[in-house]
Amino acid sequence: MNNQTLNIQKDLLRQPSTIALVGNPNTGKSTIFNALTGLRQKIANYPGITVERKMGTTIINGVLHKVIDLPGAYSLNHKKADERITYETLIGSFDHEEKPDMLLMVVDASNLERNLFLASQVMDLQIPMLMVLTMSDIADERGIQIQSQQLSDTWGVPVISINARTKQCDTQIKQALIEQGVATPKPFQWKPSTPLRQAVERLDKEWLSKHTQLPERARPIEALRLLAEGSLEDSFYQYSEEGKAKKLIEELQNFLEDQGENPTAAEVVQRYRFIGDSSESSVTKEVREQQTWTDRLDNVLTHRVAGPVTFILVLLIMFQSIFSWATPFMDMIDMLFIELGAFVGNQLPAGLLNSLLVDGVIAGLGGVVIFLPQIIFLFLFIYFLEGTGYMARAAFVMDGFMTKVGLHGRSVVPLMSGFACAIPGIMATRTIENWRDRLITIMVLPFMACSARLPVYAVMIAAFVPDNRVIGFLTLQGVVFFGLYLFGILMAVGSAAVMKRIFPTGKPTPFLMELPPYKWPNVSSVVIQSLERGKIFVTEAGKIIVAISIVLWFLASFPTYDPTGSDLAAVDANEQMSEQMLSTLQLNQSYAGTFGQWIEPAIEPLGFDWKIGIGLLTSFAAREVMVGTLNTIYSIEETEEQLGLIERLRSEKDPETGLPKYTLATALSLMIFFAIAMQCMSTLAIVKRETNSWKWPLVMFGYMTVLAYFSAWITYEWANAFLLG
Amino acid sequence: MIIPLTTTKIGEQVRVSCLNCTSEDTCRLQELGCVEGATGTVVSNQKNIILQVGECRLAITHPLAMNILVEPVSKKK
Ligand SMILES: Nc1nc2c(ncn2[C@@H]2O[C@H](COP(=O)(O)OP(=O)(O)OP(=O)(O)O)[C@@H](O)[C@H]2O)c(=O)[nH]1
Ligand SMILES: [Mg+2]
Repeated sequence: MNNQTLNIQKDLLRQPSTIALVGNPNTGKSTIFNALTGLRQKIANYPGITVERKMGTTIINGVLHKVIDLPGAYSLNHKKADERITYETLIGSFDHEEKPDMLLMVVDASNLERNLFLASQVMDLQIPMLMVLTMSDIADERGIQIQSQQLSDTWGVPVISINARTKQCDTQIKQALIEQGVATPKPFQWKPSTPLRQAVERLDKEWLSKHTQLPERARPIEALRLLAEGSLEDSFYQYSEEGKAKKLIEELQNFLEDQGENPTAAEVVQRYRFIGDSSESSVTKEVREQQTWTDRLDNVLTHRVAGPVTFILVLLIMFQSIFSWATPFMDMIDMLFIELGAFVGNQLPAGLLNSLLVDGVIAGLGGVVIFLPQIIFLFLFIYFLEGTGYMARAAFVMDGFMTKVGLHGRSVVPLMSGFACAIPGIMATRTIENWRDRLITIMVLPFMACSARLPVYAVMIAAFVPDNRVIGFLTLQGVVFFGLYLFGILMAVGSAAVMKRIFPTGKPTPFLMELPPYKWPNVSSVVIQSLERGKIFVTEAGKIIVAISIVLWFLASFPTYDPTGSDLAAVDANEQMSEQMLSTLQLNQSYAGTFGQWIEPAIEPLGFDWKIGIGLLTSFAAREVMVGTLNTIYSIEETEEQLGLIERLRSEKDPETGLPKYTLATALSLMIFFAIAMQCMSTLAIVKRETNSWKWPLVMFGYMTVLAYFSAWITYEWANAFLLG
Repeated sequence: MIIPLTTTKIGEQVRVSCLNCTSEDTCRLQELGCVEGATGTVVSNQKNIILQVGECRLAITHPLAMNILVEPVSKKK
């Protein structure tokens, strides 16, 4: 091929600069980013894990540089929300943010030709770059050999080959940047045909340069895109004089056709042709006609029947693991907090501060931290699964069903992450091409039973559902627990099916996805990422819970009760007023109690009393706060013996009838309420950001709350009538 | 002989001869390497298709696969 002298620039690294990581999805960009910056971006074997720009820093030769991790893209045609971010960053249209000074063009060595397609587009932008071939280990395994020097000569940029998963990855890249430097590629190295080049030049000169704000280097790429697509639709630019542009594009398309070119395919075909020709000199491959592991696994996992069955089994195992495997760890944490409370309680003199710390903060925090093991197990499971490459298969086999109910195969991964937390789930919907599919996925995603609901479910089940064996290892508690997850899934599916009818139908986007080869997940990174999530859970929930616990403790402890007057008269004169009754009266007439009793009528039909009512209100900050709140309220109200929250809930008596106040019916009603209601400010904020309007979060909040209220009501009535005789 | 991708058999080698879908879907297929003239192997055909193009394994659902017209290629030994 054409040998050229590299246009090397080494002095760029002498001053602080911004380095962006660009490449196809699932090629190891975030792995490199983490190695360079020491940050912990999420890594998984699924195309489309990174969906936003992430900034970090790294030191090369004593100079501090910024590093940007970008979402993967197959081309610069910016069809999806995540790809747009990459495109806009590259052409520098984020006004207030850093423009990249140089690129690490990440290319998967085991899939070179397809990856070079994007690379050749990016090269047309003429940003200095170093080409980084990742997955060199996989390429070796498959017998693919790449002559880096040849590749570098062909494309006019320095090339290095690495295994991004190894420890030396960051030093290798830094070394290459220092020794080989970066080079600015020449545009149009792929030798477009003369007619295509003429069409691009005309569109640029007569239209793009006059009527758009696009920087000069981005115009040829945009021109090629417009010529191929033939429409201005779905463009995030405000074009002035659109009519004129349309006419011009049509004219140019006709011109290309007259010249014997297919306008839709011309660019792609010519780029691939050049890539194919050039790879002949730089790539050799041994032909191996044996079945790989990936083939064997795919025979089962993508099978029409076995595929979906496996997916359901995987879900069942996941629920089972968080339900039963985490129990021993949870017991340990429970013990720890009881000890801690007792210890602090004994150290400090009795009084306000003691009560605030022990009843407010420690009780509130303990009530939630206990769920840490379950949450870590859940994340371990999801991260492990995503690391293997299975999720792309799950999306594929579930697509038929998902499409029927108004969702899309690509909704599977966001919905699955919804089991951990709705927020990353909603962000992950950026990988869905079709806006309507994406919106419906966002709107039903909060039904997936997120980890913040676990505490509520777990406490209610442990307190009110009998621990009978049903069949085999399944207990009734386990069945209810699975049932709640299933209920969430059914609600999501059902609501999506309804929305499918309401929202206007557009052109459907048929499922098309690259299936990455199966990999053994990087165990240490799966563990580290899960622990990290656990830490976030504790610190984030911790902050809210400590704050709310303190406020609540105050509201529940003041005004202090003065045992005089009518209350005293009500007590039998012979009896000393017990500590216990005192604290109950104190709680009832506190600010929290007064307010709670005021709202009680509204929630009474659902079987809730005012204490749960206060919990419902505080849980709008975050669902798990519910348990912390009940813990705080019950710690203030004293009992004869020290009882845990679960015993307290069981032993709570109705003051008038003397019967247990909370029953299985209350528990079911509360769990159904939590399964459906939209009690999470952060989710609403993210929905606002992702849909760019207040309309959708408001609709979401409205329909979910109404649905939750009536479902809980029906559940309570039904349970009272049929379950409790 | 040009046939839709959906009528091919497992293990068959095919050359993509025409993408007969919307320009948007054509773009998506093309950037994934499924361009006119590319050769691939059918890895699985159970209504939905898995087509291996080069080193890349593409999962294509039935409605899209119907619009991909291919030409069977006889295997060269
Ligand atoms: N064998 C091998 N695996 C790698 C290498 N680099 C990355 N991986 C794995 O490839 C998968 C994708 O890595 P990521 O870093 O998440 O890829 P990404 O480019 O950021 O992907 P997106 O964010 O989806 O665009 C993960 O399973 C990594 O562990 C490598 O050099 N060799
Ligand atoms: Mg990434």
